[in-house]
Amino acid sequence: MNIFLRELKANLRSLVVWGGIVILFVSIGIAKFSAYEGNPEMLAILDQMPPGLLAAFNFDAFNLTTITGFFGVMFTYFALLLSISAAMWGSDIISKEERDRTVEFSLALPVPRGRLVTAKTLAATVNCIGLLIITWGVSLANVAKYHPDSQFYAFMSLCMLALFILQMIFLAVGVFLGCAMKHCKRSSSVAVSLLLGTYFLSVVSGLNKDLDFLKYFSPFRYFDPAMLLHESRIDVTFVWLSAGIIAVCMVGAYVSYSKRDLYI
Amino acid sequence: MSIIEVDNLTKYYGKARGIIDISFSVDEGEIFGFVGPNGAGKSTTIRLFCSLIYPSGGTAKILGKDCFKHGPEIRREIGYLPSEVFYYDRMKVIDLLKYSASFYGKDCTKRLYELAEIMDLDLKRRIDDLSYGNKKKVGIVQGLLHQPELILLDEPTAGLDPLMQRNFFKLIREENEERGATVFFSSHILGEVQRMCGRVAIIKEGRIVKIEDMKTLQKDNYKKIRVTADDVDEKRFDVDGVRNLEKDNGAVSFFYVGDINVIMRIISEKEVSDVTIEEPTLEEIFMHYYE
Repeated sequence: MNIFLRELKANLRSLVVWGGIVILFVSIGIAKFSAYEGNPEMLAILDQMPPGLLAAFNFDAFNLTTITGFFGVMFTYFALLLSISAAMWGSDIISKEERDRTVEFSLALPVPRGRLVTAKTLAATVNCIGLLIITWGVSLANVAKYHPDSQFYAFMSLCMLALFILQMIFLAVGVFLGCAMKHCKRSSSVAVSLLLGTYFLSVVSGLNKDLDFLKYFSPFRYFDPAMLLHESRIDVTFVWLSAGIIAVCMVGAYVSYSKRDLYI
Repeated sequence: MSIIEVDNLTKYYGKARGIIDISFSVDEGEIFGFVGPNGAGKSTTIRLFCSLIYPSGGTAKILGKDCFKHGPEIRREIGYLPSEVFYYDRMKVIDLLKYSASFYGKDCTKRLYELAEIMDLDLKRRIDDLSYGNKKKVGIVQGLLHQPELILLDEPTAGLDPLMQRNFFKLIREENEERGATVFFSSHILGEVQRMCGRVAIIKEGRIVKIEDMKTLQKDNYKKIRVTADDVDEKRFDVDGVRNLEKDNGAVSFFYVGDINVIMRIISEKEVSDVTIEEPTLEEIFMHYYE
C-alpha cells in the first residue's frame, strides 16, 4: 500500500502534464469541427481524395459534418495519445528506479520484487484511468454545444471502453519492457517505438485487403471506431486477444523481474 | 551462531569477474572487516547478501536462511548502508525515513528521531537539496532505524566530516555492544577497519587472500624495529628474518620476523641510545598481500 501511494504521489505531476495535453488537444480538435459542421463543400473535397488515404485516416466510415462522425475520426488520435502515455508510464515506473539508482534503497527494503511490480503497475493503472476520465470529461464538455443525440453518447462510452483496453495493453507492454530489458534506460523509448510501429502497421493493413491479417498484430485495429458506431458493440475476439496480450506481458514482467540482476 | 555463512560464492557479470569462490562466516556479535581496494568485489558481495543480484554459483546464508530464497525475510533483519546513497529526490527527508520505516512492521519513530539527533540531520529538507555528506547521514539513519540484527556497511565514511565519522563509529559500536548487532564492515580505509573490527578478511581481485583475527594478523606479522646509537653498524643486524634493512641519520631500521630474543640480544650487544619496536599497521600488512 505504501509503495502504491508513494508512486501515485510521485506520478501526479506527469498526470497533470498529460491531462493538459489532452485538454488542449480535445478543445482545439472539437473547435475545428465548427468548420465542418453542416458544410457540404467539405464533403465534396473529401470525395475527391484517394480512397486509400481516406481509409487510413478513417474518413471513409464517418460523416465528418456530424459531431458523431467527427468524434469517430478523432478516436484514432485519442488512442495514440492515451496509449503513448500508458506505455511510458508502464516502462518508466519500473525502470526509473534503476535510472535514478534508487534500486539499492527500494529493493533492499523487505519487499518481494513481485509486490513492488504489483504496486507500481496499479499506481500506473490509476494514472491511466485518471487520464481517461479527463479525456472523457473534456470531450463531453466540448461537444455539449453541438447538442449531440443519444447515439453519440452511447458511441462515446464504447470509445472510452476501447481506449481503456488499449491503455491497458500498452501499459502491460511498458511494464514488461521496464522489467525485462537489461538496459532499462531505453525501455520507454523502445515501448513508444513499438507502439508507433504497430500504429503504422494498422495504417498499412487498412490500405490493402491482402494485408488485412496484419490487424491481429496491431492493437490499433482491434477496435474499429466504425464498428463501434454502426454496430454499437466491441468485437469480443479482440477483447480476448487484448486480455491475452496483457496476461502474457504481466507474467513475463513478474518472472523476468524476480530473476534479474539489478543494474546499479 | 553464524549470522553470515558464505560458501564458494561466485558472481560473474557476463564475462567480467565479480567475486570467485568466496567462503567465510561471521559470528553473532562480531564486527567483521572486509578489506580490499576498489573493484575487488566488496560491493558485489554485499549486494548478493541483499539479493539485489543473483550468484553465478555457491551459497550465502544469513541468519541460517538462504539469501536468494528468503530475500524479503532476511532484508527485514538487515540494515544496509550503500557506498553511494540515492533516494527519491523530490521527497522530504522525514517522509523518506517514514516511508522506509513503514516496511518493517514495527514502530520505528522513536529510534528515527534519536538517530537523526545523533547524526545532526535536518529532517525537513528535501533530498535533492542535500549535500553528499548529508545524504549519507540519511542513509545511516535509514539503515539503522529498524534496529537490524545485521548491519552491512559499504565504505560508510565516504563524504562524512571527521566529527560525523566519530559519531558514526560511536553509534556502530553502541549498536554492536549494547544491542548485540553483528556488523559487516567493508572498507578500503584501513585505519577505521583496524579501530573497529575484531576479524578481517582481505579480498583481492575477487578472491579472499586472508581471513584472520586483527590481533593475530598484527602479531604473527613482522615487527618494525628502529635502533638509534652512536656509530651504529647496520651489518650486525643482517641476520635471518630481517628485511628492508636501512640506515639513515644515525639510526638503523628494519622489519623482523622470528624469535624476538635473538634480535634483542643483537640489539643489546652494544650501547644504544634509543629502540622502538612497533606492530605493523593494517596498511602495511595489506600492502604485503597486494605486492
